[in-house]
Amino acid sequence: MPLPRFLKRIFSDPEASHKRAFLRSLDLFSDLRFMDLGHLVQNMHDRTYHEGEVLFVEGDIGRALFILESGKIELTKAGPDGKPQKIYTIQPGEFFGEMALLEQLPRTATATALERSQVFLLYRSKLESILNYHPRIGVQIMTHLAQLLSARLRRASSAAGCMPAS
Amino acid sequence: MIERRAAPLLPTILVCAGGLYCAYLVRQALMPFVLSFALAYVVNPLIDAVETRGLRRFHIVLAFYLLAAFLLYLLAQYLLPLVSAETSRLQADAPAYLARAQKFAADLQSHAARRLPRSGLPIGQLASHAYASALEQLQLVPSYILSLFPLISLFFLVPFITFFLLLDGPLLISTLIQAAPSRYVEQSLHLLNEIDASLGHYLRGILIVALAITVVSYVGLLALGVNAALSIAVLSGVSSFVPYLGAVMGALVGGIAAAVQFGTAKAGLKVVLLFVGIRMGDEMLLQPFIARYSVHLHPLLFLLSMMIGGEIFGFLGLVFAVPTACIIKALLNVAWEWYVSEARLRGHDTRACVAVPYT
Repeated sequence: MPLPRFLKRIFSDPEASHKRAFLRSLDLFSDLRFMDLGHLVQNMHDRTYHEGEVLFVEGDIGRALFILESGKIELTKAGPDGKPQKIYTIQPGEFFGEMALLEQLPRTATATALERSQVFLLYRSKLESILNYHPRIGVQIMTHLAQLLSARLRRASSAAGCMPAS
Repeated sequence: MIERRAAPLLPTILVCAGGLYCAYLVRQALMPFVLSFALAYVVNPLIDAVETRGLRRFHIVLAFYLLAAFLLYLLAQYLLPLVSAETSRLQADAPAYLARAQKFAADLQSHAARRLPRSGLPIGQLASHAYASALEQLQLVPSYILSLFPLISLFFLVPFITFFLLLDGPLLISTLIQAAPSRYVEQSLHLLNEIDASLGHYLRGILIVALAITVVSYVGLLALGVNAALSIAVLSGVSSFVPYLGAVMGALVGGIAAAVQFGTAKAGLKVVLLFVGIRMGDEMLLQPFIARYSVHLHPLLFLLSMMIGGEIFGFLGLVFAVPTACIIKALLNVAWEWYVSEARLRGHDTRACVAVPYT
């Protein structure tokens, strides 16, 4: 239950409110309730990456989902000649590395901070803990991930000419 | 092909080993911090649960301390008269108990002499020694109480340190994550989570067991009419911080106290049976729940960790031997998982499912 405004000013944590508001703005967590977002904030870690810092390298085993709050992250992939080729630039509010939550497989790209970037991390075992103790939150996250996977699969199939994109 | 850099394993191990050796050298000074850390670990889920409502952590921790102080005050109001009554009753009854114990020993000797005339068991001699020793110990009680004064400083120091650990715990984790090399943040999180899972569940579990043993044994001893029920229950509860020791201490001390109080071995046996029941209840009801998420140690590792802990750090070493072993096991698990995943020794093959066309 939200606090009355005058009590909110005294007792509420502005940093937690800011994180909660940011997470609610994402499609992935848009359906979560106030308390659910509170649990999520507690289970997430944040870290600041400076320009040029590498978040992970192609081939590393993935164990966390990354959500970019501010800054820019570049995804690159090694080309046939071994040189990195830019494949996408992550903008604030976008998330990446989500497949690490489903299976521990090598990362398919390298992520590097293009500028000072604030990133939230949801570690795989934290998601498992959420699924155990707060299944409502876990189910919503997993549903969104499944929808995302399905959409990507449709796009890939469509690009390959197997089926019409819906 | 992307060049892979090996993790700086050897320097890390050397730094950790150096840190552990330094910790060993200053172990006395570290004791309040270790106790505070354990207390903070136990209390932290409560603080976290309230924090999800969006409140400032400082206010939650402060409110928790005020509530805990109030509850302790109420508990003291209830317990202090009980402790005082138990102590004065013990002082009043001690000579009678000792006389009864002597009579019991004399009866035993005459009984043994009738059955085994040539055995020459020195029971009477042993009883006289025990009587003299008991009187000697009773005279030393004031010095024992004085020797507890350093522990009183812990009573104030531990809550003080715990306050700051509870307040700044999340900040400490954030600082560690920020300090980790950017590429190894995921691995650092993996390690922190493994340690957190095994340590947190173990410490919370052992506290639940201690509280349960204290309450159940107190009720059971009261029902059996044992005089020093509270003291024996508390002794049993505190001892249970060392795995398996609580019920043994309760059965031993409670059994002797009941046998001396009632003057029959049957009364002592009833108390022993009570603690056997408590131990079985703990094993059947609490342990499956507690051990569900904690790290499982092989009995030999368990024994080894207890022996090493007891040898180096005494009673506190016995209490914290298993959690330390859990941390070491978590570290080894993480190292093994990294090795396996990096070496691609294991992997989930989903190709069989993928063979079905996407529809």
